[in-house]
Amino acid sequence: MATTACFIIVSRNDIPIYEAEVGSAAKREDAAQLHQFILHAALDIVQDLAWTTSAMFLKAIDRFNDLVVSVYVTAGHTRFMLLHDSRNDDGIKSFFQEVHELYVKILLNPLYLPGSRITSSHFDTKVRALARKYL
Amino acid sequence: MANYLAQFQTIKSSCDHLVIAVEDVSDLWPTIKNNFEEQLPFKRACLNNKTRNPVFVENLPAEFILTTDARLRSRFPQEQYLFWFREPYATLVLVTCEDLDEFKTILKPRLKLIVQNDEREWFIVFVSRAHPSNDQATKMAKKVYAKLEVDFSSKKRERCCKFDIHGPEANFWEDLESRIMESIRNTLDRRVQFYEDEIRKLSEQRFMPIWNFCNFFILKESLAFMFEMAHLHDDALREYDELELCYLETVNMGGKRREFGGLDHGDDQAALLNPGNKPLTQIVQDDSFREFEFRQYLFACQSKLLFKLNRPFEVASRGFPFIISFSKALAIHENILPFCMREVWVITACLALVNATNSQYNEGHVAPEIEKEFYRLQGDLYSLCRIKFLRLAYLIGYGTEIERSPVNSASLSMLPWPKPAVWPSVPDDASSEVLVKEKMILQETPRVKHFGIQRKPLPLEPTVLIREANRRRASLSAGNTSEMFDGRPAFADGSGSDVSLKTSPSNKVQAISMSRALSSPGFEGSIDRPMRLAEIFVAAEHALKQTISNPDLQKTLSSIKESEQKYMELTKGAADNYHRSWWKRHGVVLDGEIAAVCFKRGNFDLAAKSYEKVCALYAGEGWQDLLAEVLPNLAECQKILNDQAGYLSSCVRLLSLDKGLFSMKERQAFQSEVVSLAHSEMKHPVPLDVSSLITFSGNPGPPLELCDGDPGTLSVTVWSGFPDDITLDSLTLTLMATYNADEGGKLRSSTATVLKPGRNTITFPLPPQKPGSYVLGVLTGHIGHLTFRSHSFSKGGPADSDDFMSYEKPTRPILKVSKPKPLVDLSAAISSALLINEAQWIGIIAQPINYSLKGAVLHIDTGPGLKIEESHSIEIENYRNSPQSSADMANSGDARKDSSVAANKDFEQLSLHNGKIELPDWASDVTSILWIPIRAIDDKLARGSSSGAPQRQSIVDGMRTIALKLEFGTSNNQIYDRTIALHFTDPFHVSTRVADKCNDGTLLLQVTLHSQVKATLTVYDAWLDLQDGFVHARQGDGRPISGFFPLVISSTSRAGLLFSVCLGKKFAEDENKAQQDSILNIRYGIAGDRTIGAHPPVAVKLNETEGTGQDLIFRSALVLQQPVLDPCLAVGFLPLPSDGLRVGQLITMKWRVERLIDIEEKRVPQNNVEMLYEVNANSENWMIAGRKRGHVSLSTKQGSRIVISILCVPLVAGYVHPPQIVLPDIDEASVSCSPAGPHLVCVLPPALSSSFCIPA
Repeated sequence: MATTACFIIVSRNDIPIYEAEVGSAAKREDAAQLHQFILHAALDIVQDLAWTTSAMFLKAIDRFNDLVVSVYVTAGHTRFMLLHDSRNDDGIKSFFQEVHELYVKILLNPLYLPGSRITSSHFDTKVRALARKYL
Repeated sequence: MANYLAQFQTIKSSCDHLVIAVEDVSDLWPTIKNNFEEQLPFKRACLNNKTRNPVFVENLPAEFILTTDARLRSRFPQEQYLFWFREPYATLVLVTCEDLDEFKTILKPRLKLIVQNDEREWFIVFVSRAHPSNDQATKMAKKVYAKLEVDFSSKKRERCCKFDIHGPEANFWEDLESRIMESIRNTLDRRVQFYEDEIRKLSEQRFMPIWNFCNFFILKESLAFMFEMAHLHDDALREYDELELCYLETVNMGGKRREFGGLDHGDDQAALLNPGNKPLTQIVQDDSFREFEFRQYLFACQSKLLFKLNRPFEVASRGFPFIISFSKALAIHENILPFCMREVWVITACLALVNATNSQYNEGHVAPEIEKEFYRLQGDLYSLCRIKFLRLAYLIGYGTEIERSPVNSASLSMLPWPKPAVWPSVPDDASSEVLVKEKMILQETPRVKHFGIQRKPLPLEPTVLIREANRRRASLSAGNTSEMFDGRPAFADGSGSDVSLKTSPSNKVQAISMSRALSSPGFEGSIDRPMRLAEIFVAAEHALKQTISNPDLQKTLSSIKESEQKYMELTKGAADNYHRSWWKRHGVVLDGEIAAVCFKRGNFDLAAKSYEKVCALYAGEGWQDLLAEVLPNLAECQKILNDQAGYLSSCVRLLSLDKGLFSMKERQAFQSEVVSLAHSEMKHPVPLDVSSLITFSGNPGPPLELCDGDPGTLSVTVWSGFPDDITLDSLTLTLMATYNADEGGKLRSSTATVLKPGRNTITFPLPPQKPGSYVLGVLTGHIGHLTFRSHSFSKGGPADSDDFMSYEKPTRPILKVSKPKPLVDLSAAISSALLINEAQWIGIIAQPINYSLKGAVLHIDTGPGLKIEESHSIEIENYRNSPQSSADMANSGDARKDSSVAANKDFEQLSLHNGKIELPDWASDVTSILWIPIRAIDDKLARGSSSGAPQRQSIVDGMRTIALKLEFGTSNNQIYDRTIALHFTDPFHVSTRVADKCNDGTLLLQVTLHSQVKATLTVYDAWLDLQDGFVHARQGDGRPISGFFPLVISSTSRAGLLFSVCLGKKFAEDENKAQQDSILNIRYGIAGDRTIGAHPPVAVKLNETEGTGQDLIFRSALVLQQPVLDPCLAVGFLPLPSDGLRVGQLITMKWRVERLIDIEEKRVPQNNVEMLYEVNANSENWMIAGRKRGHVSLSTKQGSRIVISILCVPLVAGYVHPPQIVLPDIDEASVSCSPAGPHLVCVLPPALSSSFCIPA
């Protein structure tokens, strides 16, 4: 499992709709903001790269010293961004794919307005479980 | 071969273009040299590249060199091969000859000798010196040239051309150039082939121990250099790329520990764009090169070629990863390199690359995507440089000046410290500097964030510097000190000690005492004493001075001001370039850094502008954590600038951020700022948009429905995002009509409203609105002098309101005002006539139509001839109950007495005030019936009719109207007017008939009673008051003969009464009482249902006894006429002949008219009266001869008689009506027809023989 990992889902409108610190390392008080900052800046790169490939998994798109940003873009241009320090590419890919499935389930919920914050605790639990499993 | 390296370098530097050898056979070169050299460089060349594809090269430089030149002579064959690229690429043989013989004997053998060397590409230029005017010479020259061509040119290849010294032919230069090109091309091909073969041979040995990279390098670079000379830069670049690959592959092979390099003075300045920085001989090591220098050299060569190819973008795009990877290589060797060499190198490399590419880059020459990418790379280079610069600045103690923003923190806190083998130690003579630094640390006051926001400052260091530095000091046994530091909470939190100095005064004191403790005499002088922070800074500064050779860079680090200048330059550069690329986010973030510096310098205007940009970005994309970091800074700027509007909106934005981002106390501070500013005098009051903070929505459930014109109250849920209660001095909510955006109403709540945090329900009075449906519009209001407005609907909670802003909100109507429609109906409950002149209940059904009649008031206005019995109260009851209850009433007589009024909830008695009744509340939603006691007054006496058939009374006589006006609605604003027609009638219609005239002069008077009402009438008694001239027979009391009382008459049926009267004078005492009409009095009772029609009258007093109370008197006038006299004339039909009548037989009809009585004188003045008679007969049956109509004279005396005879012929056989006589002038009643004429007479058929005529 990765020591540091921050997972954020960014909506089509660049709004973060879900965030979770999924690393095993004790969370630094100020880290959340830094992670957010790095992921936010990485949106610039995603926007360049997303259209150059037909694959959803963009792999590691940015590197920040030891931290790597991996991104998965859904068909609806929702971006799953993971800031991590592990090098387990296959695991990350599987993680993204399974989170995508969860996300689709959220979308199918008629009470969920696409683009709004994901508040489902079930989703949160599942994502964290996936993170433990794959990262 | 490595020995040739130096030579190779010199050759390379001396020779940078192609060489064309000139074999000057006939000593012509000096004369034509200028002409030839003018043609250089070659305008257009076509060469083959490495893959043998033609490439067009423009402006190919070359040089003509005589073969006798020193540069081309005295070369060893081996050298020639190795540096073949410098050998001539073509040999130009200059000859002239004016004589064929001479050509044959001398020139030709000589030429043959020259050209027999196959390796050279040669061609012959025949120079004709013959003057054009000299025909002879010209011809000869031509001949010789022809011969030359025959001998040296072949079909495959032209090797000759002719140059006329006195004006060359037009196409000579082109010819010449193509010849030269052909030669160069061939030579180049051959040499490329050679080099390739050689390189291949060497590459194959790459992994063998005998491999020598230097040899490979010389060959490879020779090839590359040759391409470069031929201006085939692409191919040259490819060679360098391959060379680099090969180098990286082999550099660390074989486990040989090689020197890395980079230890020379000046190595800290990146030389990645300067291939000639160091001679290659200096960097050669064994059979290879030092990595530090050589990789830079290769990159420099590549970038030189790329610049030549005008591809600065590629330089940048290769340069950035190169710097990164090179920086990694530096990191590996950091322990042998000078202190912070890596950082310094990266800074210089980035700057050099940025400057070089920028100066070479021409905007607009490349595709837009490339351009954007180019600027992005520039930005990346700048920001990389910026980070390394920050790191250096931090190390020398400028960390206090570095803004602890997310970008800086993210960059620096994850960037490891430099790892020198030994951390530099403080020079002996630097104690004063240490003091200065220490003072600086102590003097540094922590910057208090606006609003008193307490935040742990973001770290700028990966680990505690003081520990890292001390750990790397060789002489220090780190154990105790690090434990000592770990024991202190201020140091154990992962941030630097200077952070702890900043946090709070108490910490500061602690830190000071600690530093004093560290500098206590016990530690003084001890070699193992851990360095203090100030010492670390000083040591780093001194070490850096050693490292940095560039005076400019040294200067920028010399003072805080200088370094801030540089920092600003780098940040601006990065931000500008990012802005020009697609990477807006990077750019905007750096704008925030610029803003921080501007703020520090007091340039608040610029700072505010930049902060605005950052905030706009984060707010727009909803990254609230990041926004929470920057927004207080913006607010502070705005406050300093006295930008009240901006400051207020910033406060509102701060308040509307996620609640978790700020503590309650901070949020309260924001609110108090807003409130205090709102209540202060604002110069330019501006409306404040609080859409994110105060949201509102209608109540869930169906919209409020109002009828047209009704006011109401609208309750709205308002969510307040303020942390505390907030008093709104006024509150206005607009309503927008869905049918038309311009229409709408305003709801005002003028009193001050206190909004609690969270959900509030506010009720607005709602004035009448136009019909339509309405949605909530804008909420506006005042806090003090401040106007605010909110556009935002909330879905049910204040959370996530931002997320929904981007979506089209389903606008739910909050209010529906229906179109004007009937809201209530008033109708009469009864359909049939009521009793006139009696107190009757009229039922009025009040039916609300989906509308509440609460508080409704009914105005009753009776028309003429109608009076409300005010003595009696008005009853109201539920309409659904009423049929039954009224039936009860009918059955049990006066049921109301028995039933408890109060017990029945749907029954109530109301009283009338000024013609108004207020309807009870229970009747507001149900259909109710209102019973109003009323009396129709009719002074006229009912008149009976005398004929047999009852004459219908005119309906209009009994018609009365009652005007009703119902005021209802929430504020009695709705009015409903209705006029109801009521029909009243007498209970009976009376008709009379004289049934019989008895012999004794008694008249039997039959009185027929027609029931006029839909109720059962019971006649208890009847008597007749006779008029003058009539008296009751047998001195009766006027009661009918028949005594079948009580007589029950059901509705619409008839009953008869028989009175016997006779003519005669009544013995009336008083003549005055003599009456014109007879009056029929009927005492009757009525049993009817008030819901149907006539019914027992409203009892005036309920207590009255039943018997009398119910009996009513009906009076009707009857007109009795005295019987007329006996007929004055009698008409008799004289008998017909007894033998009967026959068709066609003439017959005389005779009538005798006899006067029976004298005619009164006044009517007939004369004795004889001419009397008109007329005979009527059916002309089909009778033919009449004589006067049908005429006057006869008859005496007025009684008994006078006259016979009227008429001759007539029957025409038809059978029983026929005989002709009849009438007396038109005389009333039929006066004529007695007895004996009456026969109805029918028998007419026999005609005799057989007789003839007859038929009238035409």
